[in-house]
Amino acid sequence: MRYIGERPSDPSVLVLTSLADGPKHGYAITADVERFAGVRLGPGTLYGALSRLEDRGLIEPLPAEDRRRPYRLTAAGSEALQRELEVLRAVAGQGLDRLRVAEARR
Amino acid sequence: MIERLARATLRLYPLGFRRRYEPEMLALLEDRPVGALGLLDLLWGAVRAHIRPPGSLAAQVSPDERVRLSASGVLLYWVLFAAAGFGYYKTTEDVPFSRAGHAHPLLGVAHAAVQALALIGSGAVLLGAGPLIALALARARREPAWRRMVWRAVWPVLGFLGLSAGLVALAHSGWRGSAGTVGHGLAIALSLLGLGCGAACVLACRRALLGLPVPARWLRNALVWATVAAAAMGLMAVMVAIYAAGLLSEAAGLASVGNGPFGLVSIGASLIAQLAAMTVLGALAAAAAARGWRRVRQPGAGETV
Repeated sequence: MRYIGERPSDPSVLVLTSLADGPKHGYAITADVERFAGVRLGPGTLYGALSRLEDRGLIEPLPAEDRRRPYRLTAAGSEALQRELEVLRAVAGQGLDRLRVAEARR
Repeated sequence: MIERLARATLRLYPLGFRRRYEPEMLALLEDRPVGALGLLDLLWGAVRAHIRPPGSLAAQVSPDERVRLSASGVLLYWVLFAAAGFGYYKTTEDVPFSRAGHAHPLLGVAHAAVQALALIGSGAVLLGAGPLIALALARARREPAWRRMVWRAVWPVLGFLGLSAGLVALAHSGWRGSAGTVGHGLAIALSLLGLGCGAACVLACRRALLGLPVPARWLRNALVWATVAAAAMGLMAVMVAIYAAGLLSEAAGLASVGNGPFGLVSIGASLIAQLAAMTVLGALAAAAAARGWRRVRQPGAGETV
């Protein structure tokens, strides 16, 4: 099994999620991630994640607008994100169910 | 200030990464200026980009440039290694260590071997860099732009020599404070400044090397000597390991004495820290040299002169 990230807040997962609704450049990605996840990606972390994702063919660059280059998900990136989010949903569901059971026992 | 530092930090990223992402990263820094944490994030990003470079970025750097980067990389690791080596030398230079070396031949042999390897490594660095320095100086005589570039490498060297002379003069001045808190603090500050001078010199040399048309055989010569220097660094780390193990087992009393400014750590702990730094830097130098040789064997390497 190949993981995109190591944890739900992994920058790669956050970046892919941000690009799920359309192409964005660096600044738009950081603003979006901060809005939906409450995480501020530093420039080193963001471009580290972008370079890894591009290297794995999960995202692709579009022509630069001025110096700001937008990125978009590839088909492989959409599939990988879908799989990752389903795993996360299953884990979250399991965790919440178990917490509810434990709460009921108390 | 932090904005300028952040832009400067981008220069620490690998060349391929910079070519691909630097304009975008600069735009992001303009749109969203960073604070101290953002600066640390950039630094850590640079370290990660060096440790695990994305494979697709290799195409951004030509084989010829890769060889130049490898040679300058070994030079950078050599300067940092020399700082650790200087620490080792200062730690083990006093009379009790000479006595321990006479009493336990293994200690004496390891200590002498480190010094011999340091000479071999220094010689290799000079032989590798010498022809390139001569080439840069010859060009600097003709072109003012190159004169400025050469001075950028020379100033840190002069600064380092000035600092060292100041430190030596202070140590021999008989000034009472030299053995006290102020003297120790000064020694630490001067050591850090010296390290900064070394790093500034290497970065200037790297920049000059990337822009200098160099005959292919001179570049290969630099890589051969860089490999010798890397091998000397690896062997020195082995010898320091033998020395540290010998000292800890055969002269445990000596190893537990306080060391360095303020005597905060023991001699044994200092040796282990120096050994760790030497091992990491030796491994990085070997990896840089190996990357250079891989590119030398690729088609296209050495054609650019």
